[in-house]
Amino acid sequence: MTTNDLTKPTPAAEGTTEPVVQLKGVGKLYGNVRALEGIDLDVRPGQVTCVLGDNGAGKSTLIKIISGLHQHDEGEYVVDGKPVRLHNPREALNLGIATVYQDLATVPLMPVWRNFFLGSELTRGPWPIRRLDIERMKETTQTELSAMGIHLDNLEQPIGTLSGGQRQSVAIARAVYFGARVLILDEPTAALGVKQSGVVLKYIAAARERGLGVIFITHNPHHAYMVGDHFSVLRLGALELNAARDDVSLEELTNHMAGGTELAALKHELAQVRGVDVEELPEVVNSPST
Amino acid sequence: MTQAAPPAAATPPASPAAAPKSRTAERSLARRALARPEIGALVAAVGVYIFFFAVAPTFRQADSFATVLYQGSTLGIMALAVSLLMIGGEFDLSAGVAVTSSALAASMLSFQLTANVWVGVGVALVISLSVGLINGLLLIKTGLPSFLVSLASFLMLQGLNLAITKLLTDNVATNAINDMDGFESAKAVFASEVTVFGVDVNITVFYWLAFAGLATWVLLRTKFGNWIFAAGGSKESARAVGVPVNLTKIALFMTVGFAAWFVGMHLLFEYNTVQAGEGVGNEFYYIIAAVIGGCLLTGGYGSAIGALLGAFIFGMVNQGIVYANWNPDWFKFFVGVMLLLATLVNLWVRRQAARR
Amino acid sequence: MDLRFDRRSRAGLATIAVVTVLLATGCSSQGGKKAQDSADDISAGKANTPRMKIAMITHAAPGDTFWDTVRKGAKAAAAKDNVELVYSSNPNGGDQANLIQNAINQKVDGIAVTLAKPGAMKGAIAKAEKAGIPVVGFNSGLEDWKSQGLLEYFGQDENLAGQAFGKRLNQMGAKHNICVIQEQGHVALEARCAGVKKTFKGKTDTLYVNGTDMPSVKSTISAKLKQDSSIDYVVTLGAPFALTAVQSAKDAGGKAKVATFDLNKDLIAAVKSGDVQLAVDQQPYLQGYLSVDSLWLYKNNGNFSGGGEQPVLTGPAFVTKDNVEKIAKFAQKGTR
Repeated sequence: MTTNDLTKPTPAAEGTTEPVVQLKGVGKLYGNVRALEGIDLDVRPGQVTCVLGDNGAGKSTLIKIISGLHQHDEGEYVVDGKPVRLHNPREALNLGIATVYQDLATVPLMPVWRNFFLGSELTRGPWPIRRLDIERMKETTQTELSAMGIHLDNLEQPIGTLSGGQRQSVAIARAVYFGARVLILDEPTAALGVKQSGVVLKYIAAARERGLGVIFITHNPHHAYMVGDHFSVLRLGALELNAARDDVSLEELTNHMAGGTELAALKHELAQVRGVDVEELPEVVNSPST
Repeated sequence: MTQAAPPAAATPPASPAAAPKSRTAERSLARRALARPEIGALVAAVGVYIFFFAVAPTFRQADSFATVLYQGSTLGIMALAVSLLMIGGEFDLSAGVAVTSSALAASMLSFQLTANVWVGVGVALVISLSVGLINGLLLIKTGLPSFLVSLASFLMLQGLNLAITKLLTDNVATNAINDMDGFESAKAVFASEVTVFGVDVNITVFYWLAFAGLATWVLLRTKFGNWIFAAGGSKESARAVGVPVNLTKIALFMTVGFAAWFVGMHLLFEYNTVQAGEGVGNEFYYIIAAVIGGCLLTGGYGSAIGALLGAFIFGMVNQGIVYANWNPDWFKFFVGVMLLLATLVNLWVRRQAARR
Repeated sequence: MDLRFDRRSRAGLATIAVVTVLLATGCSSQGGKKAQDSADDISAGKANTPRMKIAMITHAAPGDTFWDTVRKGAKAAAAKDNVELVYSSNPNGGDQANLIQNAINQKVDGIAVTLAKPGAMKGAIAKAEKAGIPVVGFNSGLEDWKSQGLLEYFGQDENLAGQAFGKRLNQMGAKHNICVIQEQGHVALEARCAGVKKTFKGKTDTLYVNGTDMPSVKSTISAKLKQDSSIDYVVTLGAPFALTAVQSAKDAGGKAKVATFDLNKDLIAAVKSGDVQLAVDQQPYLQGYLSVDSLWLYKNNGNFSGGGEQPVLTGPAFVTKDNVEKIAKFAQKGTR
């Protein structure tokens, strides 16, 4: 269990960006099926690394390896310069690698502050009457949420009554407070509307501001491009694109995401259908596949 | 959406468009009270009390109230443990016969060994806790729903109760143990009467209130209480943040075992002998009391005070119908109506909370 | 008011008329609710003694024909004696004791109680006596009524009844019977089977069935009969189970005969037709009636039966094809 007195992360100064988490040629086999091959990924403090890919591209396998649910079969998984092999999520957490899953983030019927401290409750008093330090937990929750820019009317309200975006944000704030250095966000915007997605993106940016390395898994290139510093596009278990923000445009990203030739074909088909203004669609760039 | 825009990092997250802080104040007291799980039961309890107060003159007497409380207490102590378990997301269908098992164990062990009855009391506690432990372990190891696991242990205990009793006593009831060493002191602890303002009140009533206070404190003010809500509310989420879900569930089953032991000891020392076939069907009354008290069948929500009120309502209806001299043929019908009303109130309250 | 009907409502009216005519003319000439209504409860005028309140507290599970008959007897006596009868029941020992406490709170003038779980009743009965309320026992508790200071007792000695039953089976030439217990752990039922076993010369097996589930009762008995073809008598301990056992015996080849404890009106018919050979009646109506009537008599004239020493036995009364006609018409009313 994480204790509450873990040292808070200090925002990394610009420039000293040694990667916290590094994947070098990582591959994963499920029996004879090759799920991942030759994945290189750097996660630096204060940067958002976006992992994009269509369904089945290998995104979830990648998260599972980083978060300790699965082990890699090839290559190296390096944390703080040392190769590691994680056996469960707890080990990852102890290294400061926290995962916020889309559905498993919170207990809906419990109040916000109880959710925030769930599993790492603050207590006071000697054993037989050791009790929750409710005041301190509420205060801390309020402070931490404010620091992330989340403002709630009432910490007693069941977290299930919050919007999906707010719930994700509370889960992110919690991970940050409990000493996460690397935050893995598994499709946090997938089930959300435009406005709610905006809320979550804002908190991703806030987490980066606090010096965390963020791995942002998504299949929405627009969301990725709004906050990302580095983009990795997965396709059939391999990296199709691995580029810094300066080296790639949104069009390229979108194109890679959809698969260039497929999108071109789609555009052609759509052109036949009256009422679809093809000019409004992003330009297809036929970039060589890596 | 301009792709040339720099990452949003440059601008710190603005506070969501002037969050209206005053909404807190607008939440009226009534609104907040409605969010409590036991509010439905409280309303029902007051209603039932006023109702029987009006229709049954005997119901108004202090000693009648003591009888109602006593009925509530024997059901209520179990209902408390069962409600904690239900908040933790599990059922225990063996709770009814477990009470009988515990009483039988204590009685027969003392009698067969001609030992001080406290020896039997101690061994019965170990047995009751073990039954809880086994229920919990079976649940976790098999991954089956607790409904099935505890149904199996319910049937097994029922069979064991009769078979072992017949084997040892050649009868279906235990021998009276009221002339054995330690009986008087045990009776003083588990089944004595306390005179309050001239009315004899069974000691179980005070235990009941004390346990309800303890259970409430544990639920709302301790780490373990937090884990109970989390284990029942969303097992996977709880596990993901490091709550020992399995441990919590086993502890809850053992709590039911403890309560079964306590009530079993009361029955033994109040009534001297125990019938092997008793207790069957009571498990549903415990669950009903918990549900009337606001526990959700799906887990993660409920309160100990609610279970207390649920058992109290049950006691009032149970005795009130007799005080009012109604045809007892209708008793089960009224219990059914109560359950339906309580469930509807809970549903409504939950919708209110979800809507906010 | 608009008195015109459209065609549909006229058709509806016609339908109603036809149904009414059918209902009026299509009555069954015998049986049914009307026959039952005309057979009034027994009434014997009404006493002019002051109104008194008597609580009857039994261990009955709800919905048992036997206890309904007890209650009818109690009601009849209450009506005659100007008594307000408070009937309550609970099969659970502790809850039944609590009902006695309830009656004490109500300051009743007398309590009639069944002692199926004598140990559990002890404390509550002592309290009633302390409060000066006379208590009579009935139906069960033959062993304990005297030691617990009850005024009198009306009932059948279950073990003795079982023994008499065993003897009758011997006379009827039975060799091997199964004693079907419909509720595991019930003292009185176990005592009946024990009594049968004691005097019966052949072999007695005990069979437990789940009394709340008739299909399972039926199939369990059938299975047992098929499994052991030497069984020639099925002994049931309640009238509904006897009727089920008749079906089981037919399923299993019809060799085994049925004899039973307790009676109800359907069983009378079965005895008449020869489906059931023998029924032993403990006269529940009499138990209910005497309990209430005796408390009235005690209050108004100080009488009590048996002098506080001997029980008043209401059974066993055997019913066979030979004497069934005599009681059939009472059973039809549900009072026997």
